[in-house]
Amino acid sequence: MYPIFEFPVVGGGMIIALIATFHILPCHLATGGFWITYFLERKAYAENDADLLEFLKKFTLMVLIFCFVTGSLTGVGIWFASTIISPRAISGLIHNYVWGWATEWVFFLIEIVTIYIYYYTFGKISRKAHLRIGLLYAMAAWLSMVIITGILAFMMTPGKWAETGNFFDGFFNPTYWPQLFFRTSMMFAIAGAYAAVVASFIKNLKTRKTVIKTAGAWGLGGLLAAGLFALWYYHQLPARTLEIIDAFAYAKNMLHVSLGVAVIAGIYFVTLLLGFVNIARPLVTIAMTVVIFIGIGGGESVREIGRRPYLIPGYLYSNQIIAHEVKNKGISSEVDAFTEGGILSHYYFIPDSLRQVNDKNYLQAGEVIAKLECVICHTMQDNGRSSLPGLIKDMGMTSAEDLFYFLESLGDYPYMPKFAGSEVERRATATFLSKLAGDETAAEVDPQWILHGDE
Amino acid sequence: MDIHSALIALRDPMGIPFSPWLFQGLMVLTFALHILLVNLVVGGVCLAVYHHLNGGEYGKKLSKTLARCSTVNLSLAIVLGVAPLLFVQVIYDPFWYTANSISAWWAMAFLLVITLGFLSLYVFYLKRSQEPSGFGLFGILALVMVVFAGVIMSMFAMQQLLPEKWLSWYVVKGSLQTLGGGFHAFSLGRFLHFMVPAFVNIGIYMMLYAWYFRPRADFDQGYLDWVGKSGIRLAKIAAMIQVVIGFWWLFSVPMKFSFYRNPVFLIGAALGVLVMAALMMAQKDPERYAVPMGILSLVAVLGMSAAREVLRMGYLGQFDYSIYRYPVNLDLGSTALFLVTFVMGLVVIAYPIAIAFKLGRGTLSVEEG
Repeated sequence: MYPIFEFPVVGGGMIIALIATFHILPCHLATGGFWITYFLERKAYAENDADLLEFLKKFTLMVLIFCFVTGSLTGVGIWFASTIISPRAISGLIHNYVWGWATEWVFFLIEIVTIYIYYYTFGKISRKAHLRIGLLYAMAAWLSMVIITGILAFMMTPGKWAETGNFFDGFFNPTYWPQLFFRTSMMFAIAGAYAAVVASFIKNLKTRKTVIKTAGAWGLGGLLAAGLFALWYYHQLPARTLEIIDAFAYAKNMLHVSLGVAVIAGIYFVTLLLGFVNIARPLVTIAMTVVIFIGIGGGESVREIGRRPYLIPGYLYSNQIIAHEVKNKGISSEVDAFTEGGILSHYYFIPDSLRQVNDKNYLQAGEVIAKLECVICHTMQDNGRSSLPGLIKDMGMTSAEDLFYFLESLGDYPYMPKFAGSEVERRATATFLSKLAGDETAAEVDPQWILHGDE
Repeated sequence: MDIHSALIALRDPMGIPFSPWLFQGLMVLTFALHILLVNLVVGGVCLAVYHHLNGGEYGKKLSKTLARCSTVNLSLAIVLGVAPLLFVQVIYDPFWYTANSISAWWAMAFLLVITLGFLSLYVFYLKRSQEPSGFGLFGILALVMVVFAGVIMSMFAMQQLLPEKWLSWYVVKGSLQTLGGGFHAFSLGRFLHFMVPAFVNIGIYMMLYAWYFRPRADFDQGYLDWVGKSGIRLAKIAAMIQVVIGFWWLFSVPMKFSFYRNPVFLIGAALGVLVMAALMMAQKDPERYAVPMGILSLVAVLGMSAAREVLRMGYLGQFDYSIYRYPVNLDLGSTALFLVTFVMGLVVIAYPIAIAFKLGRGTLSVEEG
């Protein structure tokens, strides 16, 4: 276990979610945008449309700046945010899928080389060679999606990996294909929305109309296909995930937000397809991109909640404690080890005086354990997101004894990890949580109860 | 719990899918390419801003070229930086994750800083012609941000090397510092040793520029002479400073590592001195020696990257930590997937690069392009 990093009030999970959600816009545009570009460039050559080619050059520059500044940096940003908030999860993924990520990186290299050359050779090389470079980019970008989807889907449904520990068993898991088709469809929809944004700045009415009609067609087609694949994806989700989505009002609300956005986006794309040029004004097209961003955020929230109580189902809990053994990798469960021998004795980043709970340090020890096991999802502040003191008060059981039994039963909730620690540590944690929730009896807890229970 | 046991416990229980030397080799190679591009960005933006604000006719022209090249180079630097970032997490995970967790806010600041730097660079490049001096501020901002990002990364690199201090940084007066604001270790000598080569490499880049565009009839030949000569002058002075900085850094490394006797370090240092000597010899005709100097500099950066890795192994060896003892869960399928894709990727990018190279040089035939 690494040093704990707390992001007060907001919570670390939200930081990862914000960066990851934003990242979807540029990365899906980077993968989808060039299929539209390729299509429009062929059309422009066939019709000798110089204005359309001028648009494509601007569009490429915008893709370059948006995707290869914000896109590549938010991509690296997800890694950095995970590194500080959930290092063992990102480490586990990397140690299992390093070659997957390295393969994706090769496609990044091809993307970056081809997009710059594509942009800077506009009108300077033969049409055939230019189209070929554009196509190379589009294929490399989509192949990077083919790879990363395997890792993303693994985080949802690791499939046979939990038994075999094999790279490809985890990669081609039950939600891989529906996710790949869903994301591929969404990349066209997002590219359509972005093409409409750039088109809304075109002065030439004929070119603007051509582009927005194409954007509408690709956007609508992508969205409809994504809807179908989303249904397939939904039916591949494990029962545990469906149960969690059903149990969480927040998850259901987010699902409704996504569906609502899909309907609004669908209507928007239809108006573009019908060539309503007046709709394609900068304010409208940018606002619609923000609306789509909100829809993606909704969908990502459902995906995140659906993984609970795991970061890697069947292996790692959301608090980074190894929940289950993976025999073929020689990994044993930490929950069992910590329940047996205590979590503090296994944690390096504390003073020696805290390695054993005693009648002097129990509150401090309880605080460390609570932070180790809770701060990834909860905040310690009353007004914080997913506030721990707030949730305890809402439950209506704030005494140390009640919380001690509550912690024991934590694993019975489908979305919560088991408490990992010795009985003494559980009593120390319960006492700290009781104090955190402002229970007056916390100050009167008998240290002997912490150490020996009700003997 | 002693440090060695802590480090072993922190190692990821998944193990790694191939022998550690492959990850180490790839990390050293990709880091060298990354830092070379970072050098070109720092040196390029610095010169672009200088000539934008102070340059004459040639200076302004060079400024525009370097600003444009720097946007491309920064993109490449970021993409190339992903690979060593990945591989360091594979074999040095206990060190990387701890150094970052302790200084978490700095990790987030890094992202913000580099994003601001990149966007400022684009503003500087795209808008500079509208108002000649005003947008120079964006160039300065881009430079400050890129250097600042380097400072943060250098801090993480240093913090990784000092596991004996982690506990004292993280636990202060018995209390855990969970807010991640600490900036604990930084070595100016080490940082400058990465930054001063920016001017060596951008100087060589300018020599290559002059060589590359020489066949083009539409280029001002006097301008190309000026670029080539300015480049080698800058590279030569920077190389001399780099040798001095190198000694400074060497003396700041604890003597117990006997780093000065290490063969990899000696080869790296010899390459650095060789670059300096070769630049002096190439002064008479910078363009003629541009390509060999480019290759030599690349090899020298590779040597520096390897020496840095040997030094890290020395630091961490104190705690009986060796990446060569990292448990391996061999997975040949995924290893082959990467290696085949890597080779295929190099073949694929050769085509557009060849087209762009010939187009820029004015040697693209009708059949090819």
